[in-house]
Amino acid sequence: MPAVSLYFQVHQPFRLRKFSFFEAGTGANYFDEGLNELVMKRAAERCYLPANEIILEALKRYGGDFKVAFSITGTALEQMQLYAPKALDSFRKIADTGQAEFLAETHYHSLSALYSHTEFVRQVQMHRETVRDVLGQSPVSFRNTELLYSDAIAQRAAELGFKAILAEGADSVLGWRSPNAAFAAAGSGIPLLLRNYRLSDDIGFRFGHAEGPGRPLTAKEFAQRLSTIPADADTVGIFLDYETFGEHQHAESTILHFLSELPKALLSMPSWSFTTPTESAQRSNRRDPLPTPQVTSWADAARDASAWNGNSMQQSCLSRLYALENRVLQLGDAQLLEAWARLQASDHVYYISTKAGADGSVHSYFSPFDSPYDAFIAFMNVVRDLEKRLE
Amino acid sequence: MKILMLGWEYPPHIAGGLGTACQGLTWALAEQGVSIHFVVPQLFGGEQAGHMLLTDQLRRAAAPSADDGGWSRRHASFETTRIPALLQPYWSPSQYNSAAQASRAARVKPKSAVPRDDKVAKALIDGEVYGVDLISALYREDFYPEVSGPYGEDIFREVERFTGNVITRIASEEFDVIHAHDWMTFPAAVALSQLTGKPLVVHVHSLERDRSGLYVNQQIEQIERFGLEAADRVIVVSHYTKRMLEQHHGVPAEKVTVIHNGIYPRQAVQDYKIKKTWPRHVVLFLGRITFQKGPGYFVDIASRVIPHIPDVLFVMAGSGDMLAGIVERVEELHLQNHFLFPGFIQGEELEEMFSIADLYVMPSVSEPFGIAALEAISFETPAIISKQSGVAEVLDHALKADFWDVDRMADMIINALLHEELRHELMCKAREEVKRLHWDAAAQKTIAVYQDVAL
Repeated sequence: MPAVSLYFQVHQPFRLRKFSFFEAGTGANYFDEGLNELVMKRAAERCYLPANEIILEALKRYGGDFKVAFSITGTALEQMQLYAPKALDSFRKIADTGQAEFLAETHYHSLSALYSHTEFVRQVQMHRETVRDVLGQSPVSFRNTELLYSDAIAQRAAELGFKAILAEGADSVLGWRSPNAAFAAAGSGIPLLLRNYRLSDDIGFRFGHAEGPGRPLTAKEFAQRLSTIPADADTVGIFLDYETFGEHQHAESTILHFLSELPKALLSMPSWSFTTPTESAQRSNRRDPLPTPQVTSWADAARDASAWNGNSMQQSCLSRLYALENRVLQLGDAQLLEAWARLQASDHVYYISTKAGADGSVHSYFSPFDSPYDAFIAFMNVVRDLEKRLE
Repeated sequence: MKILMLGWEYPPHIAGGLGTACQGLTWALAEQGVSIHFVVPQLFGGEQAGHMLLTDQLRRAAAPSADDGGWSRRHASFETTRIPALLQPYWSPSQYNSAAQASRAARVKPKSAVPRDDKVAKALIDGEVYGVDLISALYREDFYPEVSGPYGEDIFREVERFTGNVITRIASEEFDVIHAHDWMTFPAAVALSQLTGKPLVVHVHSLERDRSGLYVNQQIEQIERFGLEAADRVIVVSHYTKRMLEQHHGVPAEKVTVIHNGIYPRQAVQDYKIKKTWPRHVVLFLGRITFQKGPGYFVDIASRVIPHIPDVLFVMAGSGDMLAGIVERVEELHLQNHFLFPGFIQGEELEEMFSIADLYVMPSVSEPFGIAALEAISFETPAIISKQSGVAEVLDHALKADFWDVDRMADMIINALLHEELRHELMCKAREEVKRLHWDAAAQKTIAVYQDVAL
């Protein structure tokens, strides 16, 4: 019988200041500490603290029947230590129950999987260690930044010893097949857990939108939608930004209530259960390979990498940044290495996207800049300064 | 619907964006079946106005132009030739009075149950419309039969002359709505509305406060206010201007309709791009070299860019009261090798300049719209515009900064010149964006205003 894998992504980048061309060489800070503190504190207050309380409560109440997975980026963990230690404590409490799984990813939420193999490995190892040190749990399954996935990326995850990998259940790859079936990565054979984007987006994007019957969504209705899934399904991946609960969807929209009602609604359906990515990977021995030569992701309608490298400004930023890798590593200056790594956060190039329509409004919702062009100018000014410091 | 439009200039002989906007709007209105009689003080020849009746203040029609921008070819079904009727060339005061009485008596439908504003009526009766001596204009025997030379020696005499001539030569025409562009035409428009009872729409393309900052000419501002008060409806070219009207003139928001200017797509731009033989990066300032357009800021910006982009050339096309001072300042800063002052340019020269520029910069202090930014984009030149502009409301794909933030503007220019990909993305997106800023939309909104006031 099918199981639901709930996985929540927790991430905050180190956002850049509107770093001016004329600041180059002055030693000015790249990052907007004020803004980063503000956003982290707000996310902690609106989402991390209240939602964690709900999760903890459910873990206690339902014992081993309720399961959940998190992935918390290294930069989010750093910012929690700096600005919201209580939020970090509450994640530790969740980890301490032993009923929640914490996944590995790139420490800096980077696109290194696409741009540098050595940097990818460095960041994944770094994240594994950080999660072990901070949360006391060693991740065994992997989710890449923004669910960027391909056969090649799965191969690397397998080489790093992970037991499962997460990906978007993209139509372009699945075709007629269901995202709820048990698949393995083509080639490496590492178990693959796919996101059911229709059901996930019901919560992530459509929850509070539009009035009318069925809005806002209740946990019961959501369980009903799940119940139409055929009994031979394997795992239904409900993967969401954790900030959906209380931050992207405001608390007034009853989204937190939805979260608190979800375990009960689902467990009251006969033969349905919760699972975690690693547990799900062990459920089924029969796994069909799902060839994915092209990169997929969970972003934008295209569900590929174009949210980050779809235009020439983004491509230019990424190639300038990754061209510095050897110099940064040779110099061995910890501060410069950290600055360079923080600049790799996919968010910076996400703000430079010039996509229009619904995709465009999601990009600008997240962006601290007035326009993609302002984001580009700030990024390039910073890279130019970093280049000078590396000379 | 027949519209009587009063304007101050019409292409190709223009001093700024007003004439360009009038051409674009009337083209689109004519396409949607609106019949227009457009009156300007003077015609200079070469006007492309096959889509409407264009006359000077003595009601002499523009000569049919061989080149009307292709309008009549594209709209073969549209009636382009109209023979101007002969008017009584000279009226005596008594003739004028009886004509005016007849006109009032003939008014079938009063425009509203409420009598016209007392102040307006009194101003007309007293013949003193805030400094424009209507009586002397009305009761003069010769009525300025000839207009000589370009206007400018005394703008108020020109406004007075225009007002007098419009009242005597144009009032007897048939029209449904009066549509007046900017303050120079307001006295004539208000007087016409009073005489004929026809509804009045005033269209604000720029305000004295935009043009002169703190040193406003009180007389001009009074005339603006007079027109704004007397109007049944006010059209403004941006929310920026709407806010200025509310703050400085107390015009209630419900009386004001924002209609952004548009632009017609251009062709044959690639010709110029290919012909681009300039060995240097070109950054273009184009507009009157006056306080409003921020030319001093442009020089400050340039002085910050030049040390980092050695091959840059700043072109300041235009003339104005600040030109001599600006040239002096450039010499003081020893930047003359990086500056070019071609003076006022128009026609093909203007098109070529727009096309070869790598960037167009508009550091205006206060810009109600800024149609030149749309023109630059239509010539495939990305724009850097001041946030204190109306065009910033409709353009997402432009670089925007506060006019006083010269470091920011310089930062943008340097990055745009260093990164071809930034200019490329701006241009690709702006090109699509500008397609949506079509004059048709502006015309539709304008027609809705006409229908409102004509009820």
